[in-house]
Amino acid sequence: MVQTTSGIPRETKSDIEEFLYREALAVDERRFRDWLTFLADDIRYEVPVRVTREANAAWELSPTSRIFDDDRDTLEVRVRRLETDFAWAEQPPSRTRHYVTNVLVDTTDVAGEYLVSSNCFIYRSRGDSPTPSLYSLFRKDTIRRTDDGWELARRWAALDQSLINAHNMSIFI
Amino acid sequence: MTTADHVDLTGWVEQTRQGIVEGRFPARAFNDQAVFDLEQSRLFSRAWCFLAHESEIPSPGDYVTRYIGNNNIIVARGEDGAIHANLNMCRHRGNVMCKSEMGNSSHFRCSFHGWTYKNSGQLIGVPYMKEGYEGRLKRKDWGLVEVRVDTYEGLIFGTNDPTAPSLDDYLGDFRFYLDLYLKHGEQGCEVHGPPDHWLADTDWKICAENFAGDGYHTPVAHQWGFNLGYFPSSGSTHSQGWAASIPGKGHGIGLGHSPNFPAFGGFPAELVEDIKSALSPEQVEVFAKTRTAVGTVFPNLSFLMQPFSLIPGEPGVRFVTMRLYHPVGPGRMEMYSWCLVPRSASQEYKNAAYRAYTLAFGQAGTFEQDDFENWTKVTRSAESTMVRDVDFPYVMGMDSVRDPEFPGPGHVVTPYVNDTNFRNLWRRWGDYLADEV
Repeated sequence: MVQTTSGIPRETKSDIEEFLYREALAVDERRFRDWLTFLADDIRYEVPVRVTREANAAWELSPTSRIFDDDRDTLEVRVRRLETDFAWAEQPPSRTRHYVTNVLVDTTDVAGEYLVSSNCFIYRSRGDSPTPSLYSLFRKDTIRRTDDGWELARRWAALDQSLINAHNMSIFI
Repeated sequence: MTTADHVDLTGWVEQTRQGIVEGRFPARAFNDQAVFDLEQSRLFSRAWCFLAHESEIPSPGDYVTRYIGNNNIIVARGEDGAIHANLNMCRHRGNVMCKSEMGNSSHFRCSFHGWTYKNSGQLIGVPYMKEGYEGRLKRKDWGLVEVRVDTYEGLIFGTNDPTAPSLDDYLGDFRFYLDLYLKHGEQGCEVHGPPDHWLADTDWKICAENFAGDGYHTPVAHQWGFNLGYFPSSGSTHSQGWAASIPGKGHGIGLGHSPNFPAFGGFPAELVEDIKSALSPEQVEVFAKTRTAVGTVFPNLSFLMQPFSLIPGEPGVRFVTMRLYHPVGPGRMEMYSWCLVPRSASQEYKNAAYRAYTLAFGQAGTFEQDDFENWTKVTRSAESTMVRDVDFPYVMGMDSVRDPEFPGPGHVVTPYVNDTNFRNLWRRWGDYLADEV
């Protein structure tokens, strides 16, 4: 069996990459109800607040502040919100494109669960504005193999900007 | 230079002030270079501007960098425990001293020529003092440019006006209402963590007005929340409550009320006792009948307290958000948004309140998102040439008399759906722009 340098079968890595691409496509095509099926029942979905600090500071990503701090129930609320006619932030909807690269897969202590890091660049265009919102992130996901295929058990994504150049965060990361 | 200092707004300001009294406010005010410049020179250079919460710099050496107008300010806790605020600029050649948003340091050393200051701003180190300056430079004359600071219940404010009244005088009777957000027990409140911080093509005044008590926008701007059953109020009862403003000060608060909403609903029982013990009987009476408290300290600091559940229909927790609208250009601002939690509450409650805040009013908050979508559009409209001379109506509650029964101070009118607070806010803004403060 051909393996990656971290000892993961190439086929597994390839499956996980395809899972990430299909998950991103569901968001970019605004199939949000469909997107929820990519998520584990016990998903944690977190985006920490970044602070500009000195190089020797104890942390740059706040241990307590979160832009997103969601579980399955609250992500479902966000999707239900988008399904109403009154989610003005997405009316008309943003056009988003998720570019997922630099995927690295490592094993974890739990059988069937993989630690998957990736870079994610999100282009978001709204209305007739010539200036898109650009979000550059590093993601550390936990992706789990189940009898029904793969599921996202944890998404942890850190934005590279500390002052975020977007009037809101009405999209999924 | 792109400033419009040469534009004389004297006539426009006077006309605008008259309009406010009569219930009008010009669209142009929300996106105009000359108005922005006048606000910078006459308002943000003179008002008490919010800098930080004391809990952000709890220990000696802790600092954060914030703004007053376009001035970057270091707010630091000195080795003696006192709070110091200084312009973040080396007095030698103007380099930025602190390039971080927060940290801990007893001294600041400039990375250009090495001048070194105590975190109080006192200059203590000058390289080549003897060889270069030959006795011509006195260190005591060249400390960092100091900003006058004062605090109220953990809030640190600064002003660049040496003649400004005391902070207590500036806040005036609004302290009665501020306590509803800040005196959550004898130990008060603390920030849950560093603020959300983002940039928006929105004028700071739109936010300041909205949070001065715009109960009117809620059923429509946040209609999805009513649809999913998030609100204890409904469209038919939502107008109930009070609008309280402090005449001559600019501050205002909206107090939303729901029939049958339990007193102090959303707080754990032990915290309610602690809160009651920290407040006056009149404050307890006002607090008990308040579901939503949304208020603005003139000019650009706001608070919202509201019970909110993660899942619609479940019992909610009360969260408090504090937000600062930092103007960076006409129709452009940086938002700082904190969650305040009662210091004496359990960690479990603090975390629950914080999660409610992130889902509702953080940058990805489901209510926040819609507000900024609307506000960027208002800002965009305001720069169009056709609205140069267009006013908006501010006539709700023009003839309201003060509610004689209400136990809180200020001009208190009902219902919650009201423009009274906004007229008061813009009157004070007009006083500053006319240089009559």
